[in-house]
Amino acid sequence: MNPVFNMDAATLSPVALFLQADVVVKLVMLGLLAASIWTWAIIIAFVGRLRRTRREMARFERDFWKADDIDAFHKAEASLDIPSARVFAAGVQEWRRSTAHEPIDRDGTRERLATAMGAASALEIDKLSDRLNVLATVGSVAPFVGLFGTVWGIMRAFTGIASAQNSSLAVVAPGIAEALFATAIGLFAAIPAVIAYNRFSHGVNKVEASLHRFADGFHTTLSRQLDGAR
Amino acid sequence: MDRREKIALGVAVAGHGVLFGLLSVGFLATPNPLKLSHPPIDISLVPDVALEQTSPTPNQPPAPSVAPDQGAPEEAAAPKAESAPEPEPAPEPAPPEPAPKPAPAPKPAPPKPAPEPVRAPAPKPAPAPKPVPKPQPRPKRPTPAAEPAKPQPKVAAKPAPAPAKAAAKPSPAKPAAAPAKAKPDAKPAAAKPAATKGEGKSATATAAKPRGSRLGADFLKGLSDTPSPAKAAAAPAAKMGAQAAANIGSAIKRQVQPCANRQVSPGPGAERIRVAINLRLNRDGSLASRPRVVGHTGVDDENRRYVERVDDLAIATFVGCSPLRDLPPELYDVPNGWSNFTLRYNLLG
Repeated sequence: MNPVFNMDAATLSPVALFLQADVVVKLVMLGLLAASIWTWAIIIAFVGRLRRTRREMARFERDFWKADDIDAFHKAEASLDIPSARVFAAGVQEWRRSTAHEPIDRDGTRERLATAMGAASALEIDKLSDRLNVLATVGSVAPFVGLFGTVWGIMRAFTGIASAQNSSLAVVAPGIAEALFATAIGLFAAIPAVIAYNRFSHGVNKVEASLHRFADGFHTTLSRQLDGAR
Repeated sequence: MDRREKIALGVAVAGHGVLFGLLSVGFLATPNPLKLSHPPIDISLVPDVALEQTSPTPNQPPAPSVAPDQGAPEEAAAPKAESAPEPEPAPEPAPPEPAPKPAPAPKPAPPKPAPEPVRAPAPKPAPAPKPVPKPQPRPKRPTPAAEPAKPQPKVAAKPAPAPAKAAAKPSPAKPAAAPAKAKPDAKPAAAKPAATKGEGKSATATAAKPRGSRLGADFLKGLSDTPSPAKAAAAPAAKMGAQAAANIGSAIKRQVQPCANRQVSPGPGAERIRVAINLRLNRDGSLASRPRVVGHTGVDDENRRYVERVDDLAIATFVGCSPLRDLPPELYDVPNGWSNFTLRYNLLG
């Protein structure tokens, strides 16, 4: 161990607290540390992805409503990795299939368009919110896992008191401190996870709403086109 | 996991490493405790129960009677022996009298014993030529008599019978039988404290005063030069003195205080009732039997109806906070020791 590290339990050194802990508490601490790292990795990745997705969706939709020729726009933009573009591509594809043969079943085509774009947007939302369940799980479970570690550690500390026949604070304090450290790590992992989960759920909901808006607008356009397409 | 997530994972790991590294080098360490200008002193709490024995020396054998003036008070012998002299039919030299206990034993004198001794006295004087009956009725029971006014008449009467046994044996029957034995070597000295109270009142008490000059020639009958075996062997090493008794009483009260604090006064005036409660204790401090209430003081019209309730509360207090701890073991079974201890208790302290 690096001699720079202060191994005194009184210094709040995580390494010291970890090394002095019981094996069960150590496992709890390691698990919670991994959960915390994974949570933060998801948070960092998700922030970037959400921001980029919303920015590109906004740009795509702006371009879409400006575009005069949907076929040309589809050729240029449909292959982009943007939820709106996927929905757009799904709509165009269904439109092309449905209007390939005469006579055109207008009601059936409308229904198929709506279904295809709805399915595409649902798929995009699913992909976007893939990692949120991890945040939700960590946010709700980590405190309990930490609490388990604490309870275990305190039980062990009391056993130590019983065997040492000495209840002075100096005997009890280190064990309780290291036990409480498990709860601290649990909260350390859970709090950001809960905050991020709520924030990202809100962001995903907004993306979903804007995706549905776009799908509805596109469906309206196609439906109008269908009326004139005789 | 795409590239972006891998980057994020790396950032998260690095961030945790930095944070824990900072904590490990004492980034948020608790500041050192303040330095004391004076080093702390160790304090040990000493139990405040007196452990000293009031009478540390075992009782000495009574001085052999050799002279007719033996009737004079033997000061030396009186204080030491507490043991109950066994009355033998033969007039035996009286074992040292039980030392008068100044300790206000909380026991109220049971009315019973008193009447008997009174009766007995009459027959005695006749058989016993000795005009110097010992006024030793200092038995434990009489002790209480010292406090309240009522028992006094009895005390006065007792000296005449000289029931030496009464000290050890509370049974009323014995004193009656024993009286014949009036001890030749009376220990008026020991008896005096008790006798003084009764002196003015009864003729017998005054009669007890006369000294050796009136002894008959045969007053040495049955006496031997050898120390009397009965008493010396059985004598306890010590008796519990007033101070020790008071200390034990307060130690017990202190230990039952948590239980006493839980008791709720049943009504106004109930806290004036003082209950004399008798505890029979085992050597380990546990109760050998349920505490008995042996008397009350402070009962008046206002709180009379609470007496039973207060009794129950007092018993519950002692039952609830037993076993008692840290009572001096050497004072357990000495005369008046805490194996059978009576103390006064009232609600609210």
